[in-house]
Amino acid sequence: MNKNREPLIRVVKREGMKRREIVMLYFGAIILALGIGAILLLSLDAEPFEYYEKMFTMGTIGNKLAYIQFQTYVQEFVPLLITSLALSLAFKMRFWNIGGEGQFLLGSLAGATVAFMVPTSTNVFLSMFLMILAGAVVGGLIGLSTAALKVKFGTNETLFTLMINYVALYVMRFFGETKADWNIFLRPEERPKFNQIPDNTKMFTIKIGDFSLELSLILAIVLVVVLYFYLNRTKQGYEIAVVGDSINTAKYAGMKVNKVICRTMFISAALIGAAGALRVSSVHALSDSITNSVGWTGIVVAWLAKLNPIGIVIVSALITLLQCGCRFASSSFGNIDSHFADLLQGIILFVILAADFFIRFKIVFRHNSKKSSSEKEVNA
Amino acid sequence: MKKVLSLVLALAMVLSFAVGFAGCGGNEDGDDFLVGAIYINGKNDTAGYTFAHHNGITKAMEQLGMDVSKQLKIVDNVPEDDAQVTNAINTLAAQGCKLIIGISFGYLTAMEAAAEKYPDIIFSHATGYLSNDTNFNNYFGRIYQARYLAGIAAGKKSLAVNNNNVGYVAAYGTEYAETCSGINAFALGVQAVNPNAKVYVSKLNAWANEIMERQLAEKLITDYGCGVIAQHCDSALPQIAAQDKNVFGCGYNSDMTSQAPKSHLTAPIWNWDVYYKLAIETAMNTPDEFMTKVGIYYGGLKEGFVDISPLTENCEEGTQAIIDAVKKMMVDGEWDVFTNVKLSIAADGTITKVEGAMTDNKGAEVISADGNTYSVYDKAGNLGPVEGGKAAQDGVIKGSMNWYVAGVEEK
Repeated sequence: MNKNREPLIRVVKREGMKRREIVMLYFGAIILALGIGAILLLSLDAEPFEYYEKMFTMGTIGNKLAYIQFQTYVQEFVPLLITSLALSLAFKMRFWNIGGEGQFLLGSLAGATVAFMVPTSTNVFLSMFLMILAGAVVGGLIGLSTAALKVKFGTNETLFTLMINYVALYVMRFFGETKADWNIFLRPEERPKFNQIPDNTKMFTIKIGDFSLELSLILAIVLVVVLYFYLNRTKQGYEIAVVGDSINTAKYAGMKVNKVICRTMFISAALIGAAGALRVSSVHALSDSITNSVGWTGIVVAWLAKLNPIGIVIVSALITLLQCGCRFASSSFGNIDSHFADLLQGIILFVILAADFFIRFKIVFRHNSKKSSSEKEVNA
Repeated sequence: MKKVLSLVLALAMVLSFAVGFAGCGGNEDGDDFLVGAIYINGKNDTAGYTFAHHNGITKAMEQLGMDVSKQLKIVDNVPEDDAQVTNAINTLAAQGCKLIIGISFGYLTAMEAAAEKYPDIIFSHATGYLSNDTNFNNYFGRIYQARYLAGIAAGKKSLAVNNNNVGYVAAYGTEYAETCSGINAFALGVQAVNPNAKVYVSKLNAWANEIMERQLAEKLITDYGCGVIAQHCDSALPQIAAQDKNVFGCGYNSDMTSQAPKSHLTAPIWNWDVYYKLAIETAMNTPDEFMTKVGIYYGGLKEGFVDISPLTENCEEGTQAIIDAVKKMMVDGEWDVFTNVKLSIAADGTITKVEGAMTDNKGAEVISADGNTYSVYDKAGNLGPVEGGKAAQDGVIKGSMNWYVAGVEEK
């Protein structure tokens, strides 16, 4: 065989794709995903149009309880948004923080600890502030420790953050299942069950008619703006970008690379921890599924949005719509269970990622492919 | 590129809303009564706890002439997480459900909060202990009565095979009154026919753990020589283990004969449809009287809410007649398990009532000889009477029993 011959299939970077083509490709991807979903729905005896209508509107149209659906939407949107933003900070630096789940869990545990410890007379803003602070410090220290171990000993941050996820999960389960006098998180009754946090630590809301706007949404939007400026207009933001591009360049430019890594990872994990504390304040109780998988989904969001804060707002808003919508739609169809909703979300994300791939790359076949394949047959 | 992506996604969103508006024509079903249900596992399950409830709800709705595909809304695979339970409730409330059923214990706090938020919706929660006066109840059953009957079948078998050791694979032991009362009732049933029998309990320390369920059953058979294996756990694996080791067994939750045809005797089972029929009918027709007509529900053999599966050919001769007689005593309210009266059943099936105090396996008196005082252990391990005297009986069985009767040993 000729070793110099080019391989049968090659992936080549695509240049100069027109904007219109890109739009069409994404649009086609979504249509394709919905089409696959429609076939599955039909095979389960469900009307696809009705399903999609319920999914995309979350059943809010013509519904007098629509405001509750929107409240739920905000409750799920905010943690995903903050986590995705935080993850994008680390990703920009090419630091693979896949420990969002663990940082979120431990942040929520820290937040809940504060909630149960502060006197019930404490003002809601002060107690929320203390909860967020506790979540941020705990999350941040975990992030800092992974970063420190990486810069000191060259440990693999992917494995390290991943494993902390499981440690955090089992720490949470331990507190959820261990009945003891010191366990302030549980209800006093016989069967272990996480208690509700005191009223003065529950999320502050602004009433707009029936709709209660959570303070956390405002905080999250402020965070988007701050991060946008931090990344694009400050020296530290620039350092993150340079370290992400090339550590050697950063060193050559006289940047303290280790410091940048540790600092950025602290901020990233601290934000996720704070999001965990906010989540406790918002949903009023701990649980081992309190993260709603934002640590994982956040990775997808961050990449789909190309690590751009504004993009992250849009992508996380749409993914949350998908999640809330799927729950509503599957509940109204007798034979569609919640696993189908997960499946559909998976198909949509997968197809969009595939479209993303084809926008950036193209597949090139070897020119004389016909000839070579016939040659192979002869050889065989 | 980023702009384009956002543009496309925004476009998709706008389009979808347009579709939504177009497709929406106020298809509210008006008079149709909608039932909402929140399940811990999938609604398409074919066995297990969620399946049993789903089966019960659909059966009840069919009996009431309702259209299950239209009138039952379900959010399934909901973990015991207040946020997710609340989301599920909101989803069902938004659909217009007027009765919302939650089947898992950990849903209790979220349902309590929701009952306050939605005063027009009735909330019904299985296995819990919280309720209010207007629109939130809980329901469970006297499964201990069925376990006593299964114990009789097991006791007869132990006499026949001349092996006084009976095994019991339990999710938990004295930690929970639910498991504890089940073990005791079963043991009392065994002892009614075989006074020399010992019940060895092996704990999972989890409500379900399939690998352990089989291993514990095997341990009870090989290490403690048990000839009958009873269980309080989800899967049929203890029964399968019993069959593999050529001993006998009593399942739980559903008739496990098909899983272990050569060894299964009978299983205590739930007829959830009995409760669901009552609850749905009352919520539909007289919602204001739900808490008086249904209230905190604790049905037993009498209501048909609990029962045992049909005795198999593996059971000893004469078992059926004894069980029928004892069942009748409980249905008629003539006798119950946790009282100061024990049954002694002779080989020919004659039932004699023996009055006297009930003692636990440490020899302490847990039900007084006059039947008016029930005692439980406190945190420090001291036995003390429960307030309320005889009226406290159900409370002890459901909530505070934490002793094993004499003849039960935890291994």
